[in-house]
Amino acid sequence: MSTYTDVTKGGGQSRRSDAAEARIALAKRFAGCMFLAFVLALMIGTQEGTQDDFGYAFRKSVFAPRIGIFALIGVAVFLAVTFWPRIVPYLSRAGVRPLAAGALTVVVSFTLLNWTDSTDLNNGKFGGLRPAAAQTGGIDPVARLFFGSAFSLTPWLLLLIVVALVAAAIRFEDSSTLGYVGGGLAIVFGIWAQYAQSAVRSFLDYPDHSTGAGVALLGFVTIGVSGIVVARSHGKADSGGFFQRVYDWRPGMPLVALGAVVGLVGLFSAAWFSPTDRNAGIGLTSTMFHGTGLSGFSAAYLAWLAYVLFFATLILAGAASYLRHHLLGWVAAGLGVVSLLVTLYVMHDFSGLAAQSKFDGATGAWDNLGTGGWMLCGALTVLAGAGYLVARHEQVEVPDAAPGVSSDAALAAGSKLGPALLVVIIASALFFPPTATQFWQTVLVTEIGIYVLLAIGLNVVVGWAGLLDLGFIAFYAIGSYTTAYLTGRLPVKPPSFLELTPLAAIPFAIVICLVAGVLLGAPTLRLRGDYLAIVTLGFGEIIRVVANNSTPVTNGSRGAFNIPPPEIHIGPLDIKWGDNVLGYWYLLLVFVVIVVLLFNRLEHSRLGRAWAAIREDEVAAQATGINTVRVKLLAFAIGASTSGVAGVYFASQIGSFTPENFILNNSILVVAYVVFGGMGSLPGAMAGAAVLTWLPEFLRDQVPAEDRQMWIGAVILLMMIFRPAGLIPARRRRAELGGLDKKDSSETTAVPAGEGM
Amino acid sequence: MALLEVDDIEVRYGAIRALKGVSFDVEEGEVVALLGANGAGKTTTQKTVSGMMRPALGEIRFDGERIDGVPAHTLIHRGICHVPEGRRVFPRMSVKENLEMGAFRFKRPDKQVLDHVMELFPRLQERITQFAGTLSGGEQQMLAIGRALMGKPRLLLLDEPSMGLAPLIVQQIFEIVREINGEGVTVLIVEQNAAQALALANRGYVLETGEVVLSGSGKDLLADDRVRAAYLGEEIA
Repeated sequence: MSTYTDVTKGGGQSRRSDAAEARIALAKRFAGCMFLAFVLALMIGTQEGTQDDFGYAFRKSVFAPRIGIFALIGVAVFLAVTFWPRIVPYLSRAGVRPLAAGALTVVVSFTLLNWTDSTDLNNGKFGGLRPAAAQTGGIDPVARLFFGSAFSLTPWLLLLIVVALVAAAIRFEDSSTLGYVGGGLAIVFGIWAQYAQSAVRSFLDYPDHSTGAGVALLGFVTIGVSGIVVARSHGKADSGGFFQRVYDWRPGMPLVALGAVVGLVGLFSAAWFSPTDRNAGIGLTSTMFHGTGLSGFSAAYLAWLAYVLFFATLILAGAASYLRHHLLGWVAAGLGVVSLLVTLYVMHDFSGLAAQSKFDGATGAWDNLGTGGWMLCGALTVLAGAGYLVARHEQVEVPDAAPGVSSDAALAAGSKLGPALLVVIIASALFFPPTATQFWQTVLVTEIGIYVLLAIGLNVVVGWAGLLDLGFIAFYAIGSYTTAYLTGRLPVKPPSFLELTPLAAIPFAIVICLVAGVLLGAPTLRLRGDYLAIVTLGFGEIIRVVANNSTPVTNGSRGAFNIPPPEIHIGPLDIKWGDNVLGYWYLLLVFVVIVVLLFNRLEHSRLGRAWAAIREDEVAAQATGINTVRVKLLAFAIGASTSGVAGVYFASQIGSFTPENFILNNSILVVAYVVFGGMGSLPGAMAGAAVLTWLPEFLRDQVPAEDRQMWIGAVILLMMIFRPAGLIPARRRRAELGGLDKKDSSETTAVPAGEGM
Repeated sequence: MALLEVDDIEVRYGAIRALKGVSFDVEEGEVVALLGANGAGKTTTQKTVSGMMRPALGEIRFDGERIDGVPAHTLIHRGICHVPEGRRVFPRMSVKENLEMGAFRFKRPDKQVLDHVMELFPRLQERITQFAGTLSGGEQQMLAIGRALMGKPRLLLLDEPSMGLAPLIVQQIFEIVREINGEGVTVLIVEQNAAQALALANRGYVLETGEVVLSGSGKDLLADDRVRAAYLGEEIA
């Protein structure tokens, strides 16, 4: 910049050259945005070419009408960047963020998600289904209208209309009518979308797990809520924590609303019974089982009791939330749990009966169930949770601390939504997997669940004690090999009294991993940061290489195979896990819940505080009387034994493994999950592992295989830019990376830089 | 018998002898200052007393029992609390959590001691929920001392409490050390700020390259020409 010389030459010229520079900068920015759009168009396009036509992919991606969309994206990015300072105040207005979230959700549903599992229609995506459904005569006309028999863009147009209405309501602050109309329409459209999908499903009569319409409904409802928020806020510039405010107003209400939506869809739209070529809602299921010897209770349930139970729970939970009545809350919670058990019993009853009487190729109890029953179960769980929250809720005034100053008050405020969220997570962990496709169930069991468990373990070492461990997968390997040994699947056999089932191997795996953790830790824990990382990395490799090469003991590179699945025989309890993937999910869930409960206690115990102190400052920790060596060893050992449990589970679930399952890459992945989720935060580590194991599998359908890692990299980069402390940051790290410099109190605000990780 | 007796200790960093036979003692209820230039061995001496380092030769006795080689986390149970050099508060813990960590050797922090620390340092009371990393240097030093007091010390080891602080704050801190001493806590203080330290101390020792070269009462040392020349920057007349 040569502004100085310009100024000396004279004001007029300086102003002119400033304007010229600004124009050039704008032009550069525009060119950059358009180039970005162009690259994006190439990336999201046909990838394959042919031998004699190298330009094929290029032409397909660039010289096609779709380039217009990308040009629009480029222009939009340019406008957004240029006018960002003017956009920011708008973003903080009431309703803007829910509107954006809702619109984005609907767009995702319309573009990425499956609307049917039937493979006849272009992958089952909305884009393929829409024109086909619009022209199929056998589908209910109301549903066809949604898909656009009148105008080929109808669903997109609907979205545009409601977004425009709500946006206008936000823009013109005093018109609450616009907000109500937009919001109301959005909710109607959401229900319409749901209805249209169920019409298609009953037309196709194909067992269906698709989530498209459900997600669209959620998106539309979010838009609707934002419209109503706008209408009620009368232009107050405040959208901070909409759910927080609802929660403050009536705790339990967000849960009641969610339970109502899910339960209604489950009862009135989703399929309850779907054997081969069949998709029966609850009503049809009821008639189908008429006179098949279904017990009177189950028949009554399908005919009318289900509705009664659901609505009774809904009304009770709603009333309890509204009145903040403790006793009513308990009643709602109790009724919810009872209804849930009854629902599960009936589902087991009729699916078992169907299998017995070879009903349309029904395969067994708990099989061939549609999503409806599980959705109702989820809804009842959420409603019961709402009742419980109301019953336990104490009216405590949180002292209004200045933002960012009081860490304790901030913690209290942050955790207020926690219980409600926990209820939702529990409900979906219990009842979402049965409605997922076989593919996702397998992913859940073999990828997501295991890595969540590993991330919880590593979080103790890396997040809490601050020791960077790059050989974590070694303990996982030790757990797996322990299982293989104890079940007699290695060349070296255990003494006969030690031959165990996999679950009985868990205590041994824990002990062996504890010992291994201490053995590795004792000589190396004097090292810090990078040095420790390198030593642990070496340890991980040593374990793998030893397993690979000591063939007489470990069977070398062929690994262990035929490891039996887990089984339990204790008194009346007699469970054997077999081919059903879902069973393993619930087993894993039990592990995760136990570990989370234990570690949650641990974090706030003396040991947890000692870990925090060591991570903050080792010398000071020593000076306050902490035996640093012992405490660090404990972190290592506890993390290692968690990993060992995951190893036992892995070995017996997968049945066979080789040393190649325990490569360095996996160790690094687990570290990445913990960092991505938020180091030192238990929910963060779990969320990080879940998101980053889910994402590649999700992208499998969306992008070309060779581009997958690139997209994942892009997500991680974005994350590190916008949320450097992780997905769900720990309180302390959030303060370090975001809050410390915003203090008004002290002369100096410097914080000593952390020592590595 | 003195509360702390250091008898001819030698400490080595690898081949380098940092302390070449240092002896001194601290009586119950005294304030004793260790003076010396950079690298004289003051901090090493204190770290050895607090158990963070072990002497190669020599003995340290506390209350008549040998404590050389006993690790720091055990020594604290006998009432030796160390305020390390450079304050070293836990930056991402609140002031309250920092103080509670000081009482880590007890099952539960003593409420009375906490209240007393708050009386001594009203500034900490004002900032009780704030992260320690956001405090000023002086406040951090107060917190570091407060944290050590939470461990109910008999012997308080202070390592350069005046480092990097404004003169006014240094004054305040020395006032508080005097107050703490008045309550019966024995203090062994390492300082470069010789004038302040000797004005406070009953007795002082001057270290030079790992050896005690001079000792005496605070007043005598303050008057000593050599001390005035070396540490108070005065020309000898």
